[in-house]
Amino acid sequence: MKNWGLLTAPLGIFLCGMSVLYLKMQGAMQKVTNTTLQDPWVYVPYLLVAVFLTIVIQMVVIRRHLDTFILPIILMLVSIGLVEIARLKPVLLLRQMQWLCIAMLVMFIVIRLWPKIKRMLNYPYLLGIGCVFLLGLPLLFGTEIGGSKNWLVLGPVSLQPSEFGKIILLFFLASYLSDHRRVLTLPAHKFLFLRLPPLRFIAPLICIWGLAVLMFVVEKDLGSALLFFGMAVLMTYMSTGSKSYVFLAMAFMGIAAAASYAMFGHVRVRFDIWLDPWADPNGMAYQVVQSLFAIGTGGLWGTGFGFGHPGFIPEVHTDFIFSAIVEEMGLTAGLMLIICYALLFWRGIKGALKLKNASEALLMAGCAVLILLQMFIIIAGVTKFLPLTGITLPFVSYGGSSMVSSFILLAMLLSLTKEQKNV
Amino acid sequence: MQGAAMAIKVVRVVLEYGMLLWLIYFTVSLSRRMFGEVKQELKQQHKPVVKQNEALLTVVEAGEEELQGRRFAFQEEITIGRGAENDVRIPENFVSHRHATIFLHGAQYVIEDLGSVNHTYVNGQPLEGRAYLKPGDEIRVGMVTLRFER
Repeated sequence: MKNWGLLTAPLGIFLCGMSVLYLKMQGAMQKVTNTTLQDPWVYVPYLLVAVFLTIVIQMVVIRRHLDTFILPIILMLVSIGLVEIARLKPVLLLRQMQWLCIAMLVMFIVIRLWPKIKRMLNYPYLLGIGCVFLLGLPLLFGTEIGGSKNWLVLGPVSLQPSEFGKIILLFFLASYLSDHRRVLTLPAHKFLFLRLPPLRFIAPLICIWGLAVLMFVVEKDLGSALLFFGMAVLMTYMSTGSKSYVFLAMAFMGIAAAASYAMFGHVRVRFDIWLDPWADPNGMAYQVVQSLFAIGTGGLWGTGFGFGHPGFIPEVHTDFIFSAIVEEMGLTAGLMLIICYALLFWRGIKGALKLKNASEALLMAGCAVLILLQMFIIIAGVTKFLPLTGITLPFVSYGGSSMVSSFILLAMLLSLTKEQKNV
Repeated sequence: MQGAAMAIKVVRVVLEYGMLLWLIYFTVSLSRRMFGEVKQELKQQHKPVVKQNEALLTVVEAGEEELQGRRFAFQEEITIGRGAENDVRIPENFVSHRHATIFLHGAQYVIEDLGSVNHTYVNGQPLEGRAYLKPGDEIRVGMVTLRFER
């Protein structure tokens, strides 16, 4: 199965969406300016580069007998994202397409160099230190953008180190946990109904948990903190199969959350908005309330692409892109997006179960879980299922760091599907 | 002019909803292909199970002459240990009296360590409690290595 047919759908949807936007501009007699969409030929080269890279990557995938389902799913998400960005912030479309090309190039390189990159799994403690270093960088040199101090500004580009830190964290957890799996499942102490190993074996895990809480508090980056913490807990659970860790982590998180609620204003604000957004719908809760209105307006089939009013939501092109999609294309499109993520996750887990090497299996399952968890956190945030935390919807939202790091994750996932053929 | 504007509008609406329908079609065909693949895999997995319901333990490596090259065929259960009542008797000090057992559970064979002192190893990993056996797994008890086949 080569699945070339599936790959035409993302391109088709992108072209459809763009023509709708151009037709709408023509209907309204709008001129091409800097704030609207530019002439089509500006975007064509990048589109061609992306198509070319897609063909190259899919050929590599087929030749190496990797999983051919993963790339079409991702490109579908990317094309929905691009179309929606073109609709919401036309100025940013060019940047996003450039980032897409860079990300696909990086993905290609990672797939080619995978045997070398895989060796990183042999150095768990270096990875751990690297992860702490990367996450610590914004604490020292960080710049505050959009309320959280987790950006590094390097000349013209601003980066979010935590986006790349999460990949290193994944490597660290995979190699550390597969080495220590036996020790971690040794029940040494029994505490109530929990069975815990000696403290020195879980110390690195507690460090990671503590780090997440630190990010939560100092960098005001709630989304990444939740993501990191969730990752650590889920990876531990996947490798040991012991529910004690999950309970322990929940308790830890509960205490940390309660303490930060009591001590820090921004945490309290987020939490109060979540409990009752209607207390202050035009002030603090404006974003969430507008997002709920948008989702509600969309209904089952949406208001029609280009005919909603998602512009009322602040930051709609990054964190709230899901609300915009649901408003304009309806619940149907939202569900289809979620199904795409779920199918990707399923594909990842299915591949991971076939791998024999414990650390690689963990790494692959971790990649799949990370994408799904990130999707869950942000969609739950914009639909007010969980307190809102600002992270990007992987592959869909605007954002260079997020795009590149998501494509690196994807490259890892793809490369790891190979091993199952050798069995 | 009126007609042209109308035509543009119609094309636009068609494209808008075409986009959405294309997305739905993509997701549905994707999931159908994936489930189809899983179904095929399941069929392939089922075939060998129905054909054979006998398993075989082959001695790969043993210090004792009476065990070398022997094969033990069984259907329901086989026990391994030092005691005389075992099906596979290994007269070594490292082996417990009743060391391990392999039994049929559903369509698969399960190996269980019966609380041995020196552990049972499956493919070089110490066995904790029970585990499903795959054809070709190597089981080590004391100094004896057995290969599980079916």
